Amino acid sequence: MIEVKHVSKEFVSPKKYPGLKGAVKGLFSNEKVVKKAVDDISFSIADGEIVGYIGSNGAGKSTTIKMMTGILKPTQGQCLINGIDPSRARKDNAQNIGVVFGQRTQLWWDLPLSESFTILKEVYNVSDEEYEERMKFLNEVLGLPEFFSSPVRTLSLGQRMRADLGAALLHNPKVLYLDEPTIGLDLVVKDNIRKAIKIINEKYQTTVILTTHDIGDIEELCSRIIIIDEGKKIYDGSLEELKDTYGTRRKVSMEVKKQEKLKGLNLAEKLGASHEECRMEFDEENKILSVTFDKHKLQVPQVMNAVMEVTEVKDIQIQETELAEIVKEIYNHGIDGKAV
Amino acid sequence: MRNTAKRYVRLYKVLIGQFFKVVLQSKVDFLMGLFGFFLSQFMGIAFLYLVFEQIPSLQGWTLDQLIFIYGFAQIPRGIDHLLTDNIWMVAWRIVLNGNFDRYMLRPMNIFFQVISEKLQPDALGELLVGSILVIRCLMKGIVVVDGIHIVLFFVSILAGAVIYTAIKLFFASLAFWLKISGPFLQVAYEMANFAKYPTEIYAKGIRFIITWIIPFAFVAYLPASYFLGVGGAFGFGGNGGVVAIECIIAAVFWIVAYALFQKGTSIYESAGN
Ligand SMILES: Nc1ncnc2c1ncn2[C@@H]1O[C@H](COP(=O)(O)OP(=O)(O)OP(=O)(O)O)[C@@H](O)[C@H]1O
Ligand SMILES: [Mg+2]
Repeated sequence: MIEVKHVSKEFVSPKKYPGLKGAVKGLFSNEKVVKKAVDDISFSIADGEIVGYIGSNGAGKSTTIKMMTGILKPTQGQCLINGIDPSRARKDNAQNIGVVFGQRTQLWWDLPLSESFTILKEVYNVSDEEYEERMKFLNEVLGLPEFFSSPVRTLSLGQRMRADLGAALLHNPKVLYLDEPTIGLDLVVKDNIRKAIKIINEKYQTTVILTTHDIGDIEELCSRIIIIDEGKKIYDGSLEELKDTYGTRRKVSMEVKKQEKLKGLNLAEKLGASHEECRMEFDEENKILSVTFDKHKLQVPQVMNAVMEVTEVKDIQIQETELAEIVKEIYNHGIDGKAV
Repeated sequence: MRNTAKRYVRLYKVLIGQFFKVVLQSKVDFLMGLFGFFLSQFMGIAFLYLVFEQIPSLQGWTLDQLIFIYGFAQIPRGIDHLLTDNIWMVAWRIVLNGNFDRYMLRPMNIFFQVISEKLQPDALGELLVGSILVIRCLMKGIVVVDGIHIVLFFVSILAGAVIYTAIKLFFASLAFWLKISGPFLQVAYEMANFAKYPTEIYAKGIRFIITWIIPFAFVAYLPASYFLGVGGAFGFGGNGGVVAIECIIAAVFWIVAYALFQKGTSIYESAGN
C-alpha cells in the first residue's frame, strides 16, 4: 500500500540574469526563484496495481518518483510506502523497492554486468538460493545471458534497460518504480520490456508505478492512470473511464468502389448533425472515406448506411479515438477544456 | 549490529575486489599514476635539500629531522588518500549531475557507499615513500623509540588520517548547497602541504591557520616533533599531549563533518534531466 499525502516539492534557486553583467549582478543579489515542481498531490495505490503516472515534459513526474523513493525530501506532505516514510527511514524503504530511471543507469559503468549483480546480491543481502531462483527467472524474461559478461558501458540502450530492470528486481522488491523505462527503445525491445513487467506483476504481485511518454506502455500495462500537469494532479482513474469521458469520438473508415459517387455527399446534413459532430475526409489515393463523429450523437450503422446508399463499400474499419489524442488534448487544454 | 558490520565488511571486499579488476585492466593508467606520484615525491624531497643547502640550520632543525617530518606527514595523508578519494567526486560532479541519486536508492550507509566505490592506487606511492623515510630515520637513531612513543605513533597516524578525511568530507558536503564545492576543497587540501615542513618557517598568519583553523600542523609537524623528542612550536611536542589534542581534533572534526554530510544528503536536490 502506497500513500502519498498532500506532497509538494519546491526547488529554490538563485535568480539568474542574462549575460556577463547579469552574472555579476546575480552574485550580489539575494533574489530567489521558487519553482513548485509538485503541488499538493495525493493518491494511494493498492498492492499489485500497475499505475501509469503521466504528464507532459516538466509536469513533475520524476520529482514525485524521487520523493517516493527517498531521493528527495518533500517540502510539504508525506509519502508512506507500506507504512515506511522514505525521507525518515531511507534504508528500510530502499530494501523494499526497485527503481529504474530510463535516462540514467544505476549499474556500475565499468564492470561487467555479472559483477554488478554480484555486488547487488551483497547490497540487498540476497541469499544464495534466492539469488539462483531470481536469476533463473530474470534470465528467462529479460534474456540477460546474451550480454551478462559484457561491461555495462558497452551495452546497447535496449540491453542496458533490460539489465537495469533485472538489477532493480534482484531482491524481489514489493514496489517497482519505473521512470521512462521504454525511452528510446525499438518496438521489439519495448514489447519485451512490457511483457516482462506484466509477468513480474502477475507472478510476484509487485506494485508498479510507471512514468512514460509512450501511450503504448499505458495501454498495454496500466489499468489505472494518474495525470499531472504543472505539478497538480488532474486525473486519477481507470483507463476505460478516461476514454469514455473524454474519448467521445469514433472514426469509421470505408474503402469505396466508386469515388465519383461521393461528390456532393454531405453526411452531417443528411444525418441531422452539425459539422463538428460529423466530419468527412477522403483519401483519394486509397479511395478511403473517413468519417469522424460524436458517438453520443450518431451510431456506426447510421453512418455506414448513409454512405452505402450512394456507393458500394469494399472494406470497413471502426476506431475509437486514440488514447494518444485524448492525452494530447488534456496536455494542451487541461481537463476542464473538455477536449476531443 | 554484528551482522550489519559483517555485511559491510563483506561488501567492502566485494566492491574493492571489483575495483581492482577494473584498475588492473587499465595498467597504463595505473602505472602513469604511480609514476606521477613518485615524480612529485622526488620534487618534494629535492625541495628540502635545496632549501637546506641555502640555510644549513633551519630554525635549529637538521636535514634528517626535516626528512622525518616530511616522511611522517605522508603516511596519514596516504591512508586517507587511498581509502576515501572518491569524496572528491561528491565535491566536483555527482551532486551536480544527479548521479548521487543511486547512493540514496540503496539500503546501505551513504558515506560507506561513496568511499567503497574506489581505492586510489596513487596513494601507495605516498605510503611507500613515507614508510621508507621514516624507517631511514629510525635506523639513523634520531627518533625516540619506547613503548609509549610507538603506541602514540600509530594512534597519531590514525587520528591524522581521520582529520584529513573529515576536512575533505566537510568541504565536499558544501556541494549539497553549492552544487560544486571542488574549488574550496582544493584550497583546504592544498593547505595540508604546509604541514610537511616545520610551521616556524611560515608567516604568523599561515602558522595560525594551519595550527588552529585547518589544523594540519597537528596531523604531521607537531606529532612528528614529539617523536623526534624535540619541543615544537607553542611548547607542544615535548610530551604526548600533542597526540591527545590531535585525537580530540580528529573526533570533533569528524563529528562536525559527518553531521554536515548528513544534513547535506537530507536537502539533496538531485538534478532535472
Ligand atoms: N533538481 C532540480 N532543481 C531545480 N529544478 C528542478 C530539479 N528537478 C526538476 N526541476 C524542475 O521541476 C519541474 C518538474 O521536473 P520533473 O523532472 O519532475 O518533470 P517530468 O514530469 O519528469 O518531466 P519529463 O517528462 O521531461 O521527464 C521542471 O520544471 C524542472 O525544471
Ligand atoms: Mg522525468
